[in-house]
Amino acid sequence: MPGVTISRWTMSYFAAALICLAAGLASTASGFGYPSVPVEAPESLVIIHLIAIGWLGLLFAGSLLQFVPVLASRQLQSPHLALPTLLLTIGGLVLLLTGFLGLADILPFLAWTLPFGGVVLTFAFASLCWMVIGTLVTNRPLSLPAKFVALGCAPLIGVAVMGLLFTLPLSGLTDNSYLVRLVLEAAPAHAYLGLVGWMTVTAVGVSYRLLTMFLLSPEKVRSTSRAAGWLMVAALAAVLYDIVFAGAGTGRKWPLDVAVAIGGTAILLYAIDVYSIFKERKRKSVELNVLSSLVAVAMLVISFILFAVSIAIGNVADMVIPIAYLFTFGWLTGLGLGQLYKIVAFMTWLEFYGPVLGRTPVPRVQDLVNERRASVWFLLYFGATSIATIALIHDVPDVFRWVTIAQLMAVCALAFEFIQARRLALVPASTKLPTGNAISRLFLPSFNGRS
Amino acid sequence: MPEAFQQAEVIERIRQQLSSVIDPEIGRGIVEMGLIYVIEAGPAGDVHIMMTTTTKGCPATAFLADAVRACAGSVIGVTNVDVELTYDPPWNPSMMAP
Repeated sequence: MPGVTISRWTMSYFAAALICLAAGLASTASGFGYPSVPVEAPESLVIIHLIAIGWLGLLFAGSLLQFVPVLASRQLQSPHLALPTLLLTIGGLVLLLTGFLGLADILPFLAWTLPFGGVVLTFAFASLCWMVIGTLVTNRPLSLPAKFVALGCAPLIGVAVMGLLFTLPLSGLTDNSYLVRLVLEAAPAHAYLGLVGWMTVTAVGVSYRLLTMFLLSPEKVRSTSRAAGWLMVAALAAVLYDIVFAGAGTGRKWPLDVAVAIGGTAILLYAIDVYSIFKERKRKSVELNVLSSLVAVAMLVISFILFAVSIAIGNVADMVIPIAYLFTFGWLTGLGLGQLYKIVAFMTWLEFYGPVLGRTPVPRVQDLVNERRASVWFLLYFGATSIATIALIHDVPDVFRWVTIAQLMAVCALAFEFIQARRLALVPASTKLPTGNAISRLFLPSFNGRS
Repeated sequence: MPEAFQQAEVIERIRQQLSSVIDPEIGRGIVEMGLIYVIEAGPAGDVHIMMTTTTKGCPATAFLADAVRACAGSVIGVTNVDVELTYDPPWNPSMMAP
């Protein structure tokens, strides 16, 4: 039977990811890191990596462990690596943050923490890629979403190795001129590989399947989708060129600009696909996870439009941070929170109601959540993110920090909604389960061999 | 043809019973969703059901097949239920009842 089981550790990935997001927002709201200090300051690097690896990295990794088997219609390759990968990611991140805090003179500086953290994180992401690629290649030819997910693994390894190389001169272990220049010149390419190369490419691929599933839209391979994939390949090639020549000291500014322009074109094609999927849907009612995904896609498109406009009027240097912020918090985080809202409820339903389906009345997945209440939190989150972006553009850090508090409130409220779903607190009385086992399994798997 | 009549009756009872099994995401019955392709009943009460899911590889697949087996098995006159999953043809939204 081509069934796919529930990923045992995905909820633990999500819990750790949400803690990192809340910690990052709380730190920013308290005045730690950017915009109180420059973006390249070690304090800012703490926040950036807490969000990029701790929140988004764990969120994407946990989601892939559940979703890649769905794409491949088979069990996950080496599922026993899921827990070590989680622990390695958290451990590597802690080492990395300890190193940055040492560089900021907040903790004693130990030179080995940064490269050791880099090595641990590289192993963690290699392990994730092993599971993802190992699962996908068994079902060839790859479907379009699977191709995007597989493509995303290359920049994931690239960003991890590049980060490891950065740690060597940063920790003072080497003064190799190639590596020093790499740190000075290639940080934007490092960010591009992670945020666009891995996360955006993966999110685009996964959303082609998820949106058609949730909207009951026909699954088609559109020429626009194929073109978006090839454009992303070209953009990643331009980034690779940028990285190699940045270290050699012969780097130019244009390869990364070309990569952003090509990536932006791919995103516009993707937005056209999302519109087509939405238009051809059979399911007329649109749930909150889809609505929030649509808002996230709109913020993605806006971030590329802002980039194009800033090139046209010649103020890219001033706009890079607001654009990167909108991209990270509007697109990736907005999409992530929207999908979490659905995935948590869906996995909880499978875990607790799947085994009794057909034997007793069961609720719908939608009955596990309170859509009206959650929509207020999503509105607050996206509103605060928009205002925060405007505050960054107009350089008003106080406003930025205040709206970060609003973002934090929205994230905490959504986390509460996820916990309510996990506890089955909202299901109709007629479908309540007699046992209280839901309460004991908030984010850890069952250890009785059942799920 | 009393035997054929009885078999048709069993099939109808199974179909009615399966209507209570919902697709958890859509919230509609799996019969109404068009996920049950074929129900065949033999003279000895053995039943063969061919079904699909909205997406190949859906994590709910095993639970849905199990639910169909249990639900059909609870119908009077059914002695054995064989559930076969197929993706030929793959399900598409036009298979849903309006």
